[in-house]
Amino acid sequence: MITQYHRPLTLDEAIALTARPDAVIIAGGTSVNADPGRTPITAVDLQALDLAGIDTDGESIRIGATTRLQDLVDSTLVPATLRDLARREAPNTIRNAATIGGAIGIVDPESELLAGLLAFEATVTLARAGSTTEHAVDEILDDPALLNGAIMTSVSIPSNGVAAADRTGRTPMDRPIVMAVAHRDHDGTVRMAMTGVSTRPVIVERDQIATLDPPSDFRGSSGYRKSLALVLANRVLATVTGGEPT
Amino acid sequence: MTITLTINGTRRSLTCEPFDSLRTVLRRAGLHSVRFGSETGETGAAAVLLDGRLISADVMLAAQADGHDVETIEGLSVPGRLHPIQQAFIETGAIQSGYSTPAMILSAKALIDRNPNPSEDDVRDALSGILDRETGYLRPVHAVLRAAAVMRGDEPDSIDIAYLDPLVDNGGAPSDRDGLSEIAPRVVPGSDVPETRIVGKPVAKVDAIKLAKGNPAFTDDVDLTGTLIAKVLYSPHAHARIVSIDDSKARALPGVRAVLHHGNVPRVRYASGGQSYPNPLPYDQVSFDDKVRFVGDRVAAVAADTEEIALAAIDLIDVTYEVLPAVFDENEAILDGAPVIHDEPDMEGAVDASHNLVHHLKADTGNVEDGFAVADRVFEQTLRVHQVHATPIETHVAISAWDSDERLVITSSTQVPFHVRRMIAPLLDLPVKRIRIIKPRIGGGFGVKQEMLVEDIVAHLTIATGRPVRLELTREEEFMSSRTRHPQTVTFKTGVDADGKLTAQEMRIVANTGPYGTHGLTVQMVTGLRGLSSYNCPVKKFDCKVAYTNIPVPGAYRGYGAPQALYALEAHMEDIAFALDMDPIEFRRLNWTDVGDPLDIAQQLGEGDQDASVMPLVTSSGLEEAVLQGQRAVDWDRRDDPAWKQPADRPSIRRGLGFAMAMHGTAIPGLDMGGASLKINDDGSFNLLVGATDLGTGSDTVLAQIAAEVVGVATDDIIVYASDTDMTPFDTGAYASSTTYISGMAAKRAAEQVREQIIERAAEMLEADAASIDLYEGQAWTPDGRSVSLETIALSTLHQAGQHQIMATASYVSPESPPPYAAQFAEVEVDVETGQVTVNQLVMAVDCGVPINPVTASGQVEGGMVQALGYGHCEEMVYDEDGRMLNPQFGPYKIYRADEMPRLEAILVQTMEASGPFGAKAIAEIPKDGVAPAIRNAIADATGVRIANIPFTPERVWNALQQA
Ligand SMILES: Cc1cc2nc3c(=O)[nH]c(=O)nc-3n(C[C@H](O)[C@H](O)[C@H](O)COP(=O)(O)OP(=O)(O)OC[C@H]3O[C@@H](n4cnc5c(N)ncnc54)[C@H](O)[C@@H]3O)c2cc1C
Ligand code: FES
Repeated sequence: MITQYHRPLTLDEAIALTARPDAVIIAGGTSVNADPGRTPITAVDLQALDLAGIDTDGESIRIGATTRLQDLVDSTLVPATLRDLARREAPNTIRNAATIGGAIGIVDPESELLAGLLAFEATVTLARAGSTTEHAVDEILDDPALLNGAIMTSVSIPSNGVAAADRTGRTPMDRPIVMAVAHRDHDGTVRMAMTGVSTRPVIVERDQIATLDPPSDFRGSSGYRKSLALVLANRVLATVTGGEPT
Repeated sequence: MTITLTINGTRRSLTCEPFDSLRTVLRRAGLHSVRFGSETGETGAAAVLLDGRLISADVMLAAQADGHDVETIEGLSVPGRLHPIQQAFIETGAIQSGYSTPAMILSAKALIDRNPNPSEDDVRDALSGILDRETGYLRPVHAVLRAAAVMRGDEPDSIDIAYLDPLVDNGGAPSDRDGLSEIAPRVVPGSDVPETRIVGKPVAKVDAIKLAKGNPAFTDDVDLTGTLIAKVLYSPHAHARIVSIDDSKARALPGVRAVLHHGNVPRVRYASGGQSYPNPLPYDQVSFDDKVRFVGDRVAAVAADTEEIALAAIDLIDVTYEVLPAVFDENEAILDGAPVIHDEPDMEGAVDASHNLVHHLKADTGNVEDGFAVADRVFEQTLRVHQVHATPIETHVAISAWDSDERLVITSSTQVPFHVRRMIAPLLDLPVKRIRIIKPRIGGGFGVKQEMLVEDIVAHLTIATGRPVRLELTREEEFMSSRTRHPQTVTFKTGVDADGKLTAQEMRIVANTGPYGTHGLTVQMVTGLRGLSSYNCPVKKFDCKVAYTNIPVPGAYRGYGAPQALYALEAHMEDIAFALDMDPIEFRRLNWTDVGDPLDIAQQLGEGDQDASVMPLVTSSGLEEAVLQGQRAVDWDRRDDPAWKQPADRPSIRRGLGFAMAMHGTAIPGLDMGGASLKINDDGSFNLLVGATDLGTGSDTVLAQIAAEVVGVATDDIIVYASDTDMTPFDTGAYASSTTYISGMAAKRAAEQVREQIIERAAEMLEADAASIDLYEGQAWTPDGRSVSLETIALSTLHQAGQHQIMATASYVSPESPPPYAAQFAEVEVDVETGQVTVNQLVMAVDCGVPINPVTASGQVEGGMVQALGYGHCEEMVYDEDGRMLNPQFGPYKIYRADEMPRLEAILVQTMEASGPFGAKAIAEIPKDGVAPAIRNAIADATGVRIANIPFTPERVWNALQQA
């Protein structure tokens, strides 16, 4: 339960507040407010920090951490595949508040956008008292504790390359049972990420699929997810490498 | 804390707690249009504009909005004027219950402000966060496109009725379908339908304006000073005995006003289903029991000053349970040795409670074995239909209070106010005369509110505290503790002769009624009735066991046993046709019932009081026309086009088309009763008081149209009031597809008596023969063109001469239940590598007699098909091994949203049903019947795979493809 609310005006002030043991950062708040828990927490709202915005230097695209998902969807700077994944992340009413930082912060096990950021080799900038560090999104997903006491300020992705995504779900806009997204950068390196095959979005190599042990739920057993992974991997890899789709 | 919001242009300082959501604070500030649908933001009923962007106020803190601009529908709603978007929502028929309409209109405003010329995809994306359980999104989407066109000054799509030429016996070219606007209601005129002025016309809904403006109209909008908040402690166990309850800590908490449980509430047996007196057995519930029988069963209830205190008190109630073994499967529950769910000595009316057998229904029209003996081939097939939830966007909500006469007044979102009044009285030990039930607008019901579900809790708490008490279920509570569709294991066995005619048909069922038998008898009777009435067959047999289990409680849900029956029947008939190498429609046509055919099993599976010596017959059917219209609309010939079925550029895709016929009932004959009363006002307008409960379907409008037609005024001269047990005549309520047919006939009869009284005075005033006078356009007319207005007549009768109140009350019960018929078509794509099924199109052509209002009727079909799509395709209640629901939230429980919909088309095929008001039959439930089997049959057409069980989720289809 949120018992205190702060809206810091500077990053330093925000960082100081974040050090409190009961502090919870609020960006869009769509996830925190949906399930604030029963223990008292102090909300630290980042809205006044001016962290939102999307710009590019031609090589990489920098997305401010409090950029709303809808602004990603609407941005012509952002690659089409990522824009579509941002659109699929949540319906319009949520995208107008939810942020890219929040999407990373909740480490949603089935987030298509997170899988996209993995495939694009996105990096995240974290600010702490007196220091700023860069981390691959994969690192943060591996160890969400990296976010403790830190504030995500931006996310960077390469601005070139080709990408493709495909998925299987109960309905066209349902959260997928399994999804795959692949990105090929300008020197031909291909990275693929998936949801629905592990407890979080993960980088997967084509040859690894046989060794995956996806968690089961009522929408898909482990074995079924594995066969989906193979089908979807073949499709997205064929698309990004320009081969015949299978 | 104090925050400052600019709400609809006015700066306001508001105090709130840091944890308060923006929805809570806006509602508290009197903005009732911001509505509760869930705490976690999925329904969008609480969407508002924050700095011009549509956001869900459920998951935004009021504190986050501090300093920002908030816009709600109240900002658009000027008295006496409508915004073009509100106008478009009304004109297109986009409003049903209207619960989420304000959110949709705000979404449209934000979109059009940004992009004056949005595409359909833009509109669908803009609406993607507002779940709608009623319209299928077709009309809301087109309302937004229409509003945008009007605001740009462009010509919008036509909303006029498109009359389609009949195809039966039509040698000539059928009418052109090219250029038909998607929302023009399609009507195939019947040949013998009389001319009418108001009936049959697309009149705007009588409640549309208040709903488009977001005026306070729903139960939750009732604000009584000093209202306590109720919360319920639900069982965490599927089956347990309550060894002890210690409520002392809860009672000691400041602000707690009452804590109720089995220890302090009298034990009175009842059945919670809202049905006619005497309620069908069993009587197996009490308000609070010392045993719990499913995860979500009631244990205790608290009333406290605030929601936070009530929740804290719930946590402080100490309950010791003795956990008992549980059983969830209907077939296991009736075996020897299964846990006995009702072992209490005072339960009444189960056939064999020690084997969890509630009912064992049997019916036959002869010896089926004789029919199987003469058959050329006999087919037998077992299918399972699963459990789903109706999920109205407004959850169950009720408020009770003592009035100044010390009568208990309960305002409730109920479909059955009169049944609730009668059923609740013994539980409270109050006479019926000391109870008043008021039903305001309802934010969707679909049967789940044909139940006394929460009213006894608030009433007990008001009696205990003397204070007003409100209980509103959370979304999770709605899923787990309200009512659901009965799962069944259905076996069909059918004999067919060499020509393809049925010789015998047997239907065996084991049905799962959960831990309580509410609606358990009658839903299963309807399953038998619908399963064995659609086709002619010399001998039929029905055998149905209804089992107690420990799943959340099945009850009434739109369709009421018919979707289960029709799924199994239409899958079975399809597979028989395939095995016989016959065309699936030809095979059905050989056997389906037509005008004059007997509805023989109805004599044994009827609930009401019927004359056993009279065989009910089919009195009207437009099925043949419906099939031809539907085949044309869906382009049925594509079934024979290999290039369409297997597109060259998408190697993993197979396409298919499927068909199912459906036949439903119209009201319960000899039982359902509707009452209406009509009185004239000084200005020649009328008050129409009805006990019927409009759930958003438009039934108030239809009743007003019927009355308006008879007394010759416009629909907006009829002021409808419904329903209030103190004010309106009795009505059984909104269920069994009865309102238009039964309450409509009551309204018609009351209006006919009023018409006679008006004509009598008009004849005197015009010095004309009464028999020659006609009423229309608000005037009484002589054949030679002289007239007197109804206003003059009203003033004369009320003030001037022979003063009396022109008014009449009438009621109606029908001896028959004329079946509506429908042809349902579905187009699907199956990805054979993944099992994913995409439904591209649903077309339903339906014979509902004469549609009194083609717009609301089309809306019923479109929205009904989409609910049925969820049943067949993606919705399911799922449990862990202890019986706890795993997906009590939208998303995991998947209902379709606006940006993923198949194309929808409803075609209304008129027939003249002589027994109905102006020729009407029912339409509200039949759209639930054919979609699941049509999808299944389309999957079979696409892939050759014939699947037994719904829903057709990817893994189920993939498994079937692997086995093929
Ligand atoms: C109705 C609904 C439907 C949804 N559907 C989907 C779906 O289909 N698929 C899906 O993947 N997700 C879905 N979501 C989740 C949605 O995408 C997330 O709620 C959203 O991305 C979170 O963003 P936010 O800015 O609102 O986060 P917040 O709630 O503000 O924060 C989320 C977490 O991130 C942390 N955080 C946020 N910003 C920062 C920062 N700058 N630095 C450090 N930590 C930070 C917070 O402390 C918190 O722990 C849905 C949510 C809702 C309410
Ligand atoms: S208005 Fe759409 S669910 Fe009621």
